[in-house]
Amino acid sequence: MDRVTDYETGIDAIAEYLPERVATLGELDAAGLLGGSAAVLASFGFEGVHLAGEESNVDMAIAAAGKLFAENEIDRDEIGVVLYATALTSSSTMWNAGSASAMNGAPESVLELSEVSDLFRYPASRLQAELQLRNAAVIGVNQLGCASIFAALRLARAMIVAEDDLKSVLCVSADKFPPSHKRDLIYNVVSDGACAALVRRGAARNRIVECTHVTKGALWDSGSLENEILAAYFPTAKALIERTLDKAGLTIDDIALVIPHNVSLRSWQILGRLIGCPLERIFTENISRVGHTVASDNLLNLRRATESGRIKRGDHLLLFTFGYGLNWACMILEH
Amino acid sequence: MSVKSSSVLLTGATGAVGSELLRRLAARKETTVNALVRRGSTRQPDIAGILRDLEPVARVVVLEGELRDGPTLGLAEADLNALARETTHIVHCGGSTSFTLPLSEARALNVCGTRAILDFARRCDNLQCVALFSTVYVSGKRSGGFSEDDFGDAGMGFVNSYEQSKAEMEEIVRNAMHDLPVLLLRLSTVAGDSNTGMVRGFNAIHHAIRLVYNGLAPMIPGDPDECVDIVSSDFVADAALHLIDHGDTGVFHLASGAESSSSLADLIGATVDSLVRFRPAWRKRAIEKPLIVDLDTYDLFVRSVEEAGNEVMRDATRSISTFAYQLAHPKLFDTARTRAALDGSRIAPGRALEFYPRVVKYCLDSSWGTRPC
Ligand SMILES: NC(=O)c1ccc[n+]([C@@H]2O[C@H](COP(=O)([O-])OP(=O)(O)OC[C@H]3O[C@@H](n4cnc5c(N)ncnc54)[C@H](OP(=O)(O)O)[C@@H]3O)[C@@H](O)[C@H]2O)c1
Repeated sequence: MDRVTDYETGIDAIAEYLPERVATLGELDAAGLLGGSAAVLASFGFEGVHLAGEESNVDMAIAAAGKLFAENEIDRDEIGVVLYATALTSSSTMWNAGSASAMNGAPESVLELSEVSDLFRYPASRLQAELQLRNAAVIGVNQLGCASIFAALRLARAMIVAEDDLKSVLCVSADKFPPSHKRDLIYNVVSDGACAALVRRGAARNRIVECTHVTKGALWDSGSLENEILAAYFPTAKALIERTLDKAGLTIDDIALVIPHNVSLRSWQILGRLIGCPLERIFTENISRVGHTVASDNLLNLRRATESGRIKRGDHLLLFTFGYGLNWACMILEH
Repeated sequence: MSVKSSSVLLTGATGAVGSELLRRLAARKETTVNALVRRGSTRQPDIAGILRDLEPVARVVVLEGELRDGPTLGLAEADLNALARETTHIVHCGGSTSFTLPLSEARALNVCGTRAILDFARRCDNLQCVALFSTVYVSGKRSGGFSEDDFGDAGMGFVNSYEQSKAEMEEIVRNAMHDLPVLLLRLSTVAGDSNTGMVRGFNAIHHAIRLVYNGLAPMIPGDPDECVDIVSSDFVADAALHLIDHGDTGVFHLASGAESSSSLADLIGATVDSLVRFRPAWRKRAIEKPLIVDLDTYDLFVRSVEEAGNEVMRDATRSISTFAYQLAHPKLFDTARTRAALDGSRIAPGRALEFYPRVVKYCLDSSWGTRPC
């Protein structure tokens, strides 16, 4: 691979959509939406999450991508591919569109199949049409839990490097949690949200330096293997982060800021120690405020970190996430 | 003990170490073994099993007793008097090896039980040796070298009630050294038989292997390069009997020492390699090697697991924590006196990494002692 070709492929623009409605841990608890103790989740760094109301997963995806176009001067015709990444299986269908929030409505099943044709109603195509991305072919990226957006970004870069006539790829991620279900998953509190990112040849920022991803299929059954999943998390995360740094010819000291997924602050305190990165160099501000937006955390955090002025041009950033399946993904960017 | 007509009072004969000693003593001519077995012990049939398999040459008598009963050892006065008259050697392996007992219970057995044995020893007119089993971990949270002349934790504290009770036991043993022929044997962790891997008593190290096997051991505290001292059960039994036979007294470390120990990283590596080698299907589970982390990180992890309340992870972490904190205080056990005493005997602690894989295999084959193999 000619490394010069992909030198400037990077994430040029990011936008997110977070539902307006915020519920505190106490409110979630009162609504019966927490399986574990609110006090423990608070001690793990969570305060509240965003809850989608009427907006569906697709509405959120369209809103995030729409914001991306509104905020940046992007020629929609330059987008050759849309990579629509989803963590929840239900997010790659239209099924939960318009479902009532459990905070004010009766619980309802997300996967309520009325017609077989429902199985072929895809959010990605709808988004392409709504945003008038007429040159964009759509591809769904799923089955990697919260790591799906990392796979989309990785594929985007690889496609741009491989295809001369492909300049830009729109990566989108949107997940709406089943409204009536408990929002804490292995000690993390799940938020609804979406994000969109433009991966572009000749990007002005966020050059994608390295992408790595490890899947441990043996731990696919998140229901019955929770203990094994918990135990596998740290050793695999440490190994992958170190491998990624190694591949990039960097050490953790070269990383100006770690852009995390919004899982428990406690887990980042531990992982930070394991990889030798002090907590001050991990952008954890959004864990309490936003919660874990399934696959959108890292891009959302990258945008907020950029806006906060904490990173400057040329800084190396390390993004890390973990998704059911079981997947760990890591990426290094040069800002 | 090569002296004719030895009469050995053996405690703890149903235990990991005591049963190894019983096997060897039972094969000796002109020897009587009075095995003091805890009244109500479910492991009494094990002794019958050993004797059946061995067809012993020695005379083996099972005495039902109780170490917590004080100087009577739970025996009738007449029996106790008769025992005192005939006993030439006491080999005291009985006690508690649990890391999780409340200190008062650990003391009741390990301190008071040993005091009772020493009181009994003073009644034995023909006594040649009282061999008492202890642990190198009476050193507690000390770090660095620990010699056969050192005693106790030097004020550093202990990792568990077991260590503390054994250190307190040693205090009374030390006093008894003035008036009794005391042989104090400090063992490091007994892993299993060096030839067969057979484990007669599953302890912390075997539980740790099981947690790695089950993918429930993400991290342990320590330093990758620190020495982990494990010994084989045959070395312990052979060395102990050699020292008893030669009338040695004083403190001896039955440990592998710097020469035969393995590093923590190598031992964890050998665990994973052995699991893959002896259970190729285990590889499919894609379980990572436990991380070796500093104490603060481990503490943070333990605290998080405790707060999270996941019972399986909590139990796994608690079980590791009962001994793992010891790894945060790296030590080297000096074995100079033992090596000198065993010189020329061909009894030596084998290299840990040579016999350890057999122990892992035995754990797997016997499913940690739950099925015959
Ligand atoms: N194994 C090791 O790795 C290790 C390491 C360092 C030091 N040591 C020391 O070596 C000695 C033997 O250890 P081990 O591993 O053989 O221990 P073990 O397997 O736990 O055996 C303990 C023995 O003590 C007996 N016992 C317990 N309570 C008793 C009571 N109230 N009255 C009479 N007998 C009682 C037990 O009988 P029942 O089981 O029938 O109740 C058993 O025979 C101990 O002093 C220990 O501290 C062992």
